[in-house]
Amino acid sequence: MRPAELATHDHARHRSRLFGLNRQARNDAKWGYLLIAPMMIGFSIFFLIALGASLVLSLTSWDMLSSPVWVGLDNYRKLFHDPEFRTTLRNTVAIAVPNVIFRLIFSLALAMALNTNIRFRSFYRVLFFMPVLTMPVAIATVWKWLYDPAFGPINGLLGQLGLPRPEWLANPKTAVIAVVVVLLWSGVGYDMVIFLAGLQAIPRDYYDAAEIDGASAWQKFRDITLPLLTPTTFFLSVIGVIFSLQVFDLVYVMTRLDQTNTLPTVVYYIYEEGFRNFRMGYAITVAWALLAMILVFTFFQFRLQRRWVYYS
Amino acid sequence: MKRRSTRHKLTRIGLHIVLMSVGLFFMFPFIWSISTSLKPLSDLFSVEPKLIPSEIRWENYSDVFDIAPFLQFYANTIIVTIARTFGQVFIASLAAFAFSQLRFPGRDVMFFILLAGLMVPDQVLIVPRFIIMREFGWLNTYQGLIIPLIFSSFGVFLLRQFFLGIPKEFHEAARLEGANPFQVYWDIYLPLARPALAAFGFLALLFSWNEFLWALTVTTDSDMQVLSVGLALLQGQHFTNNAILLAAANMATFPLLIAFLFFQKQLVEGITLSGLK
Repeated sequence: MRPAELATHDHARHRSRLFGLNRQARNDAKWGYLLIAPMMIGFSIFFLIALGASLVLSLTSWDMLSSPVWVGLDNYRKLFHDPEFRTTLRNTVAIAVPNVIFRLIFSLALAMALNTNIRFRSFYRVLFFMPVLTMPVAIATVWKWLYDPAFGPINGLLGQLGLPRPEWLANPKTAVIAVVVVLLWSGVGYDMVIFLAGLQAIPRDYYDAAEIDGASAWQKFRDITLPLLTPTTFFLSVIGVIFSLQVFDLVYVMTRLDQTNTLPTVVYYIYEEGFRNFRMGYAITVAWALLAMILVFTFFQFRLQRRWVYYS
Repeated sequence: MKRRSTRHKLTRIGLHIVLMSVGLFFMFPFIWSISTSLKPLSDLFSVEPKLIPSEIRWENYSDVFDIAPFLQFYANTIIVTIARTFGQVFIASLAAFAFSQLRFPGRDVMFFILLAGLMVPDQVLIVPRFIIMREFGWLNTYQGLIIPLIFSSFGVFLLRQFFLGIPKEFHEAARLEGANPFQVYWDIYLPLARPALAAFGFLALLFSWNEFLWALTVTTDSDMQVLSVGLALLQGQHFTNNAILLAAANMATFPLLIAFLFFQKQLVEGITLSGLK
C-alpha cells in the first residue's frame, strides 16, 4: 500500500470508529437523561421552582387568601427592626454555640474511651447511639417530664439534696441550659461514631514510635490524635453548626407551655409567621435570613480551615 | 514497672467509673420513660417520684388508642416511611448510576446543581412547597406527605461515590454482551451496591420515621397525621395523664430502636460513609 492509500484507509477506519462511538455516545446520553429524569424532574419542581418562588414571594406581602401584594424589600427591612426575630435569633445562637462546642468535646472523649479494649464497649456504643435514633418529639416528651418542676425526678432529687427546685422550662435562661443538655444527650452518639471511625484510621505505628521516644499519653493525644483528627473535627463542626441553627421540633415541644413558647427559635418563627399568622412573604424572608446565616458561618469555617485542619 | 502497671490499673478503673456514670445518664431517660408509662395516675403526682411504680398499669398503653387515633398514626407513619425510603433509594440510585457511569452533555453541571442544593435548608422551601401542594390538591394526602421528600440529592451524592468505586469492567463487559444501561444498573450495579443501599436506606428510614416539620405543615386532618405530629399535638390538649403520654412516646420510638438492633452494622457503616466521604 502506498502511503496516501494507507492514510485514507486509516482515515476511514478512524471515521467509522468515531461514528460507532457517536452512536454509542448518543445511546449513552439518551439513557443518561432517562435515568436521571425522575430525580431531576422532582428536584426542579420541589427545589428549583420552589426556590425561585421563594425568592419572589419574599418581596411580597401575602396571606394566602387574597393575591400577593408587591412590597419590594420591605420584608427585609422589617427583619432588622423586628424584636421577635431578634429574640428567636438570640435564642438560636444561645443554643447552637454551647451545643456545637460541647458536642465535639464530649463525643471525642467518648470515642477515645471506646477506642480502647475496655470491657462492654460495644454495649456502650449501642447505648450512646440510641438517642440518635429516637424521635425528637418523643425525646422532648420524655425530658419535659424529667424537668417537670413539681413532679419530675430532677427536681425530686434536687429537693432531697436541699437545693432550689427551678422551673426549668418556664424561664428562658434555665430553658437554654435544659435544652442544650437534651440536645447533647441526643446528638453526641452520632459524632462519637464518626470520631471512632476517624480514630481507627490513625495508624498504630505512629503511637508505637511515639512510645519508643518516651511520649506521655497527653503528648500522644496532643501531637498525634488531635492533629490527625482535625479533618473529622472540621466536618463535624460544619454540620454541627448547620443542624444547630435549624433546631426546631425538640425545642418546640419541650418549651411550649400552655400555648406560649419560652424559647422560640428561628425555624419556629418561620413556621409561626407562615402557618399561624399567615404572613407568608415575611416567613420566607426569615427563612432566607437563616440560609444567609448558615452560608456565612460555613464560609468562615472553610476560610479558617487552613489555619487548623491538617490533611495528611 | 510495677508502679506503671498499678497506675495503668487505676486509669482503667477510673475509665470504667466514668463510662458507667455516662452510661447511666444515657440510660436514665429510657428507663424513667418506661417506668412512668406503667405508673397509675396517683404515682405521678408525688413530690418525691419513685422509679418503681406502686403497681404496674399496662392499661396506659391501651388508653393511648382511646385518646387519639393512634392506630391510624401508626399506619400512616409506616406507609409514608416505606414509600419514602424505597422512593429515595430507587430514584437516587438511578441518578447516581447515570452520573457515575454514563456520559452525557450537561452531566457535571447538573450534578453540581444537585450538590449545591444540599446547602439550602428545607425551611426556605417549606412555604413554596406548601403552596405547590395546595395547587396540586395534595394537602392531607399520602402523596403530599411522600412525594416532595423522595428526591434526595444527598443519596445521589452518597451512592455515586460508591458506584465510582466499582470497576468499570463490569459495566463494559455487560454492554458488550448487549445489555442496555438500565439492565446493567439493575442486574449488576444494584446487587454490588447492596451494602451502600442498605446504609442509605436505613438513614432514609430513620429520617422519615422521625420527620416532623413537613408532616406538620401538610396535614391538618387527624386521619392523615403521622406519629411525630400526633405525639406533639397530644401535648397541647388538656388531659394531664403523663403516663399515657409517655406510653405513646415509647410506642412511637420502640419499633425503630428494635430495627436498629437488627441493622446496627449497616447503619453505623452508613453514618461513617456519609461522614467521611
